Amino acid sequence: MEWAWLIPVFSFAAAPLIVVLGRVLPGSGSFLAILAIAAGFALFWWVFAGFLGAGAGTENCLVSAHTGTLTCHYQMAWFHAGLAGAAGSVALTWGIIVDPLTVAMLGLVTFVALMVQIYSLGYMRGDSRFGWYYAVHALFAAAMLTLVLADNFLLLYVAWELVGICSYLLIGFWHERPAAKEAAKKAFIVTRIGDVGMLIGILLIWREVGSFSMFDAFEAVSSGAMTEGVTTVAALLLFLGAMGKSAQFPFHVWLPDAMEGPTPVSALIHAATMVVAGVFLVARVYPIFSAYDGDALLVVAVIGLITALMASTIALVSVDLKRILAYSTISHLGLMMLSLGAFGYTAAIFHLLAHGFAKALLFLGAGSVMHGTDELDIRKMGGLRKVMPMTAFLFSLGALSLGGIPILSGFWSKDEILLAVNDHLNPAFIILALLTAFLSAMYMARAMFVTFFGNLRQEMEHAHESPASMIGPMALLGVLAAVFGFVGFNWPGSYQGIGSFLFFHEAEGFHFNWWLGILSMILAVGAFVLGYLIYIKDRVSLEGFRARIGGLIPVVENKYYFDEAYQWVVDRVVLVFANFIGLFDRIVINDLAVNGPANSVHRLGIAMRLHVTGHVYSYAMGMVLGTIALSIFWWFRSVS
Amino acid sequence: MENFDQIALALIIFIPLAGAIAAMFMPADRQKDVWYFAIVVAGLCFALSLYIFLRYDYGAGGFQFQDSYKWLPAPVDINLSLAVDGISALLILLNGIILLGGVLISQNIVYRPRDFFVLLLALGAGVFGTFAVRDLFFLFFFYELAVLPMYLLIGVWGSSTDFRTFFRAKEYAATKLFLFLVAGSVLVWIGILAVYMGAAESGFPTFSMETLGRLAEAGQLSEEFQTWVFPLFMVGFGVLAGMWPFHTWSPDGHVSAPTAVSMLHAGVLMKLGAYGIIRVGMVIVPEGAENWMPVLITLGTVNVLYGAVSAMSQTDLKYIIGYSSVSHMGYVLMGIATLDRIGVGGAVLQMFSHGIMTALMFLLVGAIYDRTHTRDISVLKGLFSRMGVTGFFFAIAGLASMGLPGLSGFIAEFMVFTGAFRTYLPLAVLAVIGAALTAVYILRLLALTFLGESDARWEHLTDASPVEKAVGGAFVLIMIFVGVWPEPLLRLINVSVDALPGV
Repeated sequence: MEWAWLIPVFSFAAAPLIVVLGRVLPGSGSFLAILAIAAGFALFWWVFAGFLGAGAGTENCLVSAHTGTLTCHYQMAWFHAGLAGAAGSVALTWGIIVDPLTVAMLGLVTFVALMVQIYSLGYMRGDSRFGWYYAVHALFAAAMLTLVLADNFLLLYVAWELVGICSYLLIGFWHERPAAKEAAKKAFIVTRIGDVGMLIGILLIWREVGSFSMFDAFEAVSSGAMTEGVTTVAALLLFLGAMGKSAQFPFHVWLPDAMEGPTPVSALIHAATMVVAGVFLVARVYPIFSAYDGDALLVVAVIGLITALMASTIALVSVDLKRILAYSTISHLGLMMLSLGAFGYTAAIFHLLAHGFAKALLFLGAGSVMHGTDELDIRKMGGLRKVMPMTAFLFSLGALSLGGIPILSGFWSKDEILLAVNDHLNPAFIILALLTAFLSAMYMARAMFVTFFGNLRQEMEHAHESPASMIGPMALLGVLAAVFGFVGFNWPGSYQGIGSFLFFHEAEGFHFNWWLGILSMILAVGAFVLGYLIYIKDRVSLEGFRARIGGLIPVVENKYYFDEAYQWVVDRVVLVFANFIGLFDRIVINDLAVNGPANSVHRLGIAMRLHVTGHVYSYAMGMVLGTIALSIFWWFRSVS
Repeated sequence: MENFDQIALALIIFIPLAGAIAAMFMPADRQKDVWYFAIVVAGLCFALSLYIFLRYDYGAGGFQFQDSYKWLPAPVDINLSLAVDGISALLILLNGIILLGGVLISQNIVYRPRDFFVLLLALGAGVFGTFAVRDLFFLFFFYELAVLPMYLLIGVWGSSTDFRTFFRAKEYAATKLFLFLVAGSVLVWIGILAVYMGAAESGFPTFSMETLGRLAEAGQLSEEFQTWVFPLFMVGFGVLAGMWPFHTWSPDGHVSAPTAVSMLHAGVLMKLGAYGIIRVGMVIVPEGAENWMPVLITLGTVNVLYGAVSAMSQTDLKYIIGYSSVSHMGYVLMGIATLDRIGVGGAVLQMFSHGIMTALMFLLVGAIYDRTHTRDISVLKGLFSRMGVTGFFFAIAGLASMGLPGLSGFIAEFMVFTGAFRTYLPLAVLAVIGAALTAVYILRLLALTFLGESDARWEHLTDASPVEKAVGGAFVLIMIFVGVWPEPLLRLINVSVDALPGV
């Protein structure tokens, strides 16, 4: 278990190797990245087994008083800020935590990254920057793995920013396309705004605690050394960072545009890295969020709910397959945040994992569709199951799972979230959460039926199924999307279900609320049936509905005008201000304050020069005038 | 080794100075020969600076490599005493690196190459001297020696900027730079004389920084006296550090200077100013420094934000980098003003980090300009496909400038923030926001210049030359090294910052 730090190191080492040696290696060195992440995945199992075998007595391990779970902690020195040992200086460490949250995340990240990288062999084949793609991919995975292992805020922030820059590089991978270039910049800057808040939060905690260790921060919170006000402010600042990365309202705008990157990248970003970082962060520092009765958690819940509802409505009207999936991701991230806000710690992480597998599958499926048809507009598709049967089957499996159809994994995890919301929050929340659940099943039904079912269009007849290197990873993800939910159950033996493995303070068994379960089942199945009737059988017409809410549709189709509003602020406020300062610097500071004195001296010199004419008569004139003036002066003096 | 250690500092000043004088007698038309000669001299300087850096005993701390040559005896008491602490040792290393890099990439100087290298080496000697002396008179002497060649280097070898919106002649930039820096040094000189007189009143007339530091520690200089002397140093040295509102010489100067001079100028010369505030201001008039720090940190914060916002509106590659230097020097000023051991340490690390990073940026812009003859970011586009290595290095320098973890700038900025957060919370928050603005203008620059479809106009471009690649690659490795493992640098910084009064 003490070797867990090696998991990211493999991939970190692979990245520069591919950049440097890529030209001479076969396959541009892509196998290095795959081997590295595969090694990480293998080591994950080793760590997992070691962790299950460890107890409170194991060296470096103890049952944390702050989270209630077994936590193993390993660290080594990094650098000293300030003279070692002197008052007010601080020693920074490379340190890792191995606890259930980390273990779960390690599994998700290594597995999804491995699947995506194998899939990319087929998908990216022939790209002129194939090696570069794998190098950044390896770095991306390494950064995310470091993020989930980090034991202190500084290392966490380091990994956090590396994730950000890798996403910039991957979203802008095809930077010759203006849209990709803009999308990459947008993703980086929008998340960076959140990161500023997060950094301020980290430094605020440092100011209060005098350390960057998370354990010290938890201790300060529980002992009351950090007061309620500071704790809440710090938690909300950290949440800003989480909102940026996890694309929560109002920072969600970057995620749909991030579709400009290669599709496997979207799968990675949406399922295992980047966007789940925000949810992970809140879970990681849950002792800070939940302190003082969780004032900060209410904000998390509200933001999560707004995000979930807003995004699911947009997903329902999008016509681009990848964008539907993007809004679906935003919506599900919102649900996870809502769950965290409702003290549903286990449910949130459970859903994070289940959603991760299903969403990776869906994106890889969308990539497969694009690979086969060069098209993403669902209005131009239909009946693709006839030409791409495997893709259709697996995509449908992912859609049904995420839509919450019973016994598939998404059903169980979503149900846990609804339960937490029902138990801990105002009834308004559960009603809106159920509405979101219904909408999310609805847009999944729409995407699935419109794309794969119905009649095959003529222009789609040339479409072909994808190669095995692409279908294989999808199939493995499909298995998990189907059965992963069963990890929630109380299994006989040492593993007692996810609730007794991954929990906050109190281990919980599997619980199932019958009325809620049946209600959500009805909603999900109903949504799919409705979708079938609308999009395939044409039995139910949307015209009446559309006419009634007519005014609202353009608002939703334009994504509630967030992009336009932000663009307006950037153009009319930020750039105008920057230009104003630029001109101020040139005109006021430079021309007036700097050149001004110089010019005055210059002009004075010109003025002074006038009297030096070089003509004898003008000097004689001056002497005469001067003599007269002096005479008059003396005369007046003698008179008075 | 002991004997060599004693003369190491004298050598590092003497070698470039002697090299400059020797170069004067070389034939004027042998361009390559004079270049090779300058490389040898700069290489020796670099080796020496590395030796001093590695051999500095951070366990013992204090001033090492001590050596003194008598010049004027008491009652004037001026001696060429040399010694370095960890801060000076690090900055000497910085100068060694950038001087060598600057000389290496100057292979294409065709106009009066001999005179160019004479002045460049003299400048280098002045910088080494300023960092190595322990006597106020010689500090001033070397400080001026570093500043004077700049005027000629820009005025003669510089380039004018002819833009759609405005025009800047290189002579204008050179004159402005020179007048500003001279005005600053006048203030510094008044301050030095005032300190000398003040010490004389207490019965110790001396220019020795060591003695003066001890006098200050013993409370021999009154607080009132210190409080009116410190602003002389703060503004005088601050001008060279690009302190707002005395910064306007700096972007103009950067832009007009030839590549090697821009590198030395932004990479090292601006650090002289910040170094002066630490070494002279904080040590000799510590109580005055303490009273003025709120002002300095406010100005530093203005630097950070003002520089960043100004950079956003620029369209010339070099102006963007010039204003970003103004912004980044703001972190140095802020760090110094925290009087916090982490903050001041961060300021020193930022000097080093910014020196390497900005030198690299100027090197790359120089490489682009040599090939395209323009620096207008609205004309340059898609350079990445033609100049892959240049673009890659530029991106890394830009990321360091944004404070991306894993690169040197992050550790330095992080330490400055850490120090500032526990001393001046509101200003520190503003500075963190300023750091985010950096991302906006750097990404804008990268996107416009390097990314996108390549333009037909730039089909013929070639990538950086092997020398440029080697120097740039070395700078990139240094930035990554410091970003991943800053401890070797911080060991020296920490022990020396700890010895500063008031920290």
